[in-house]
Amino acid sequence: MAAGSPAPAQSSHSGVSAQRGSTCSAEQVESIAANVPSHSGSCYGDAVVDIVALSPAVQNAEVSSRPTDEEIIAQENAIRASEAEKLGFVGDIEPLVALEKEYEAGSEVFVRKIRSLESSYRSMRRTRGDGNCFFRSFIFAYMEVLVATNDLAERNRVVTCLRQWRPKLMETGFQELVFEDALEVLIDQLNSLGTAEPLTVRQLEDNLRDASLSPMIVMMLRMLDSAEIQRRGDFFYPFILGMSDEATTVEQFCRRYVEPMGEESDHVHIVALTDALQVPIRVVYLDRTAMPGEGGSSAVATYDFTPAGCAGTPPRVHLLYRPGHYDVLYPALPAPPSVPAAST
Amino acid sequence: MCMRRIQAELSDWLLDPPEGCCLESFEPLMEWVIIMAGPESGAYGPSLYRDDTFRMSVKFSEGYPLEPPEVLFIPPSPVHVHIYSNGHICLDILSDQSRNGGWSPALTISKVCLSLRSMLASSTEKKRPPGDLEYCLRTRNRSPRETRWEFHDTTV
Repeated sequence: MAAGSPAPAQSSHSGVSAQRGSTCSAEQVESIAANVPSHSGSCYGDAVVDIVALSPAVQNAEVSSRPTDEEIIAQENAIRASEAEKLGFVGDIEPLVALEKEYEAGSEVFVRKIRSLESSYRSMRRTRGDGNCFFRSFIFAYMEVLVATNDLAERNRVVTCLRQWRPKLMETGFQELVFEDALEVLIDQLNSLGTAEPLTVRQLEDNLRDASLSPMIVMMLRMLDSAEIQRRGDFFYPFILGMSDEATTVEQFCRRYVEPMGEESDHVHIVALTDALQVPIRVVYLDRTAMPGEGGSSAVATYDFTPAGCAGTPPRVHLLYRPGHYDVLYPALPAPPSVPAAST
Repeated sequence: MCMRRIQAELSDWLLDPPEGCCLESFEPLMEWVIIMAGPESGAYGPSLYRDDTFRMSVKFSEGYPLEPPEVLFIPPSPVHVHIYSNGHICLDILSDQSRNGGWSPALTISKVCLSLRSMLASSTEKKRPPGDLEYCLRTRNRSPRETRWEFHDTTV
């Protein structure tokens, strides 16, 4: 993003049109709209409200029956809060059987596919479905392996990589003040490995569940993602084109669909983040489609995102994708080498 | 997180304020008052607001910068098709993703000010949004963050 570029953000004059569809019945709308010259362009929602405003009788009827904006927002907040209560940002490790149970009463294809996964994966960890699940699953899984294996070589590599991003983020137009704290938090956690007080998996869980740290880390990853996309705009442009009517440039796409918290991740986001950090990952796609060929309908599609510099490196992170959501997967331990019969 | 960030933005602003803007007050630190000069030039020659000066209220929340700041013009607000008489502004970057907006923590108050000046600069007609009066009556004494906005105009 061009720092300070005053390109107009999107705006609108329909602040009062929120009730469209939710309370005006279709007949009401049609009967009112029929008496009034139509608004030009795409402002149908505004027109309805304008007319309501012109007609006190209708307005009063509307006002008494429709929920106010404040009520709607309060309800939305309550829904979000109850979702948050059900699952923290990051859950506990669960066996794959738990996932199977979810679909027992539902899709048989899902159940078959989950069973076929059980030879390669032993367990999973859920993350909250708040639109940030890819970023949170990715960083949690990546750091958990680093912590569990105390892989200092990889830690050194990624810390160097993160430090190199500082000037690159600024070149891309991010002001240092928007990312410096978050970048330091991430680097500090990584740097604790190999010291007398290393990060533990338990602390990692606490950090990624923390109401302030967890979003901060997601925010950081989103900025890296955006910067990678913008720095390689020519490469990413064809993928971005057609994903949205609103975003017509790489910069607009990043500002609108990468940087804001809660925007869901697509292939573009995944390619960019894995490239930015040079971390290869595997995504297992669990959906209803039956795969043709060997394994028939129970075969599960997997896709490896392997950055150019990581050819030949096995995936460091395994994620489970179900339409609209990412969770962490744990590979089954490799089969133990066959133990020669103890000699007597 | 929010105090450190606001402090950093304040230092940055004092060194390098956005064009046409100055800070009237930043006490308490969570509530700023900004004076904004109308832009000199517009889409087709001189801007409609070149002789005007406006005051803006900015309120940061504990959730900043994950949540957008509350930004509004202190009446009299600019007569603009996306600005209501009570100072509420319909601009996507002032709402977060859960309200269909485009706020991101990569934005700063400086950038918001530049966007607002650009919104004024590209205006070709001094008029209020449709339903201005009804909206102002309905939202009396309420924060613009209690309004559900729809964003569809990419031109002004």
